[in-house]
Amino acid sequence: MIAILLNEVASTVAAEADGGDLSWLLALGPAGAGAVYAGLWRYYRNTHASHSFEQETRIEAQPATGSDAKVDEIKGTKKSNIDGDNRANHRQRVQRFD
Amino acid sequence: MTSLPPPSDGDRPPAVDTHDDPAIDSRIEPVVDPIIDTRNERLGDGVNRCPQCGATDIQLRPSAGLLICLFCRHEWSEARLDETIANGDLDSLRGTTIGSGASDIDTGADSLITMKCAGCGAEVVVNIAEQMGARCHWCRHVLTINEQVPNGAVPDAVLAFKITHDDATAKIREFAGKRRLFADRAFVRGFKAENVVGVYMPYMVVDGNASADVTGHGEVETRQYSRGSGNNKETYYDADVYEVQRHVDFTVDDLTIESSAERADMNTSINTNNIINTILPFDTENAVKWNASYLTGFTSEKRDQDVAHLQPELEDQLLSIARSRVTSSVERYDRGVRWERERLDVHGTRWVSMYLPVWLYSHQQEGGKRMVHYIAVNGRTGEVMGSVPVSHARLLVGALTVGTFLEGIAIAILVAS
Repeated sequence: MIAILLNEVASTVAAEADGGDLSWLLALGPAGAGAVYAGLWRYYRNTHASHSFEQETRIEAQPATGSDAKVDEIKGTKKSNIDGDNRANHRQRVQRFD
Repeated sequence: MTSLPPPSDGDRPPAVDTHDDPAIDSRIEPVVDPIIDTRNERLGDGVNRCPQCGATDIQLRPSAGLLICLFCRHEWSEARLDETIANGDLDSLRGTTIGSGASDIDTGADSLITMKCAGCGAEVVVNIAEQMGARCHWCRHVLTINEQVPNGAVPDAVLAFKITHDDATAKIREFAGKRRLFADRAFVRGFKAENVVGVYMPYMVVDGNASADVTGHGEVETRQYSRGSGNNKETYYDADVYEVQRHVDFTVDDLTIESSAERADMNTSINTNNIINTILPFDTENAVKWNASYLTGFTSEKRDQDVAHLQPELEDQLLSIARSRVTSSVERYDRGVRWERERLDVHGTRWVSMYLPVWLYSHQQEGGKRMVHYIAVNGRTGEVMGSVPVSHARLLVGALTVGTFLEGIAIAILVAS
């Protein structure tokens, strides 16, 4: 983890070495300490762990059917993803309808 | 600059709606009997004899997954539940079918059962809230509860331990050994992997036939470009927005749900029940008809939830499964999909209650929330998961050491530049 972090920092520093502001580097220590604390705590306590019933249960599903209709266009947004992307968050419940 | 084409019509599956098709329902035979009789008629309450020599000292031999007579060493197994009940095609599952051992719990059912010893005629009282058998205090015959009493203590089926105590101990020792450095010192001092206990935990195992619909919006990136220069350079995106609808029909086989209210509470800020949940799944298709002798030498936890209590959890899991199943059909939306509404139609379910084998090591943390931390081993597959209490002081020292090292590098770079 630390090696990846250092590698990332080195490539960014190299890219900005031509006179750019490097004061953000001072945040490296606190950020690294926080990441190590959180990572180790997660490794010991495993509070994120649960049974992956979506993958580990015998399921037979027909191919999904449906429709896709273009309803709008977005121009010049700074956001790289859709707001509230929950495509991979299968367990987040949304409004039920009948 | 990146420019992507919109989803092509040729890639899309036809929008066929089958879930309201009356022709499908008309082909399905209605459920005749919503109760599956899973009683082990070969056994009654009282003396449970070896089929070869008639002795009553019987227990499980985990390494073989078989019952063994401690007198003549004869080994045997009860019949698999799947072989003794009509399972049928899951696609044709309709209505709610329940195993007789999964029937609603009668809260007024007496937990004290009086059995007449078939060896000497003495009357022996067994508190089935705590144990499923007792030894006759006069002739030393072993008496067991095999009839399905309506208090949740006798399930439809049991899956015997296969992982031995020694194997479980080794797995727990290895798991905890990797987590010694930053562990709470009281945990390290008191750790004795040999204290692991075998517990039969209560579950409902559910087959289901369902359909689901989900609707939302997806976005496809059509252009990516930059504005400004130097430190003010920013990336902008153009995208097409689509309304997305998906429908999926699916069946699930042996979805396993906790049927103890206490174990089903997965609030990780106050308990570590998620650890026991994580070691699922079990090979539930190998579960056998109930025989209390499988519990000899182990403890068990009683079911306290009926089918109606578990229905919301089942629906939640079925919706999650449906959402995971439609994911591959929306991969073209490279900016993501926001599902906004969902619907579930459960056409049929079949519920069977089971005792499933778990090796459990527990440690009660002193002070604070006094949380009980578990390390659990799946008694069939050997999958292990655990929660080890941390020493926050040690963790802080470790994190600060790494942070200081990184800060030193950062300062060195700044000074050099």
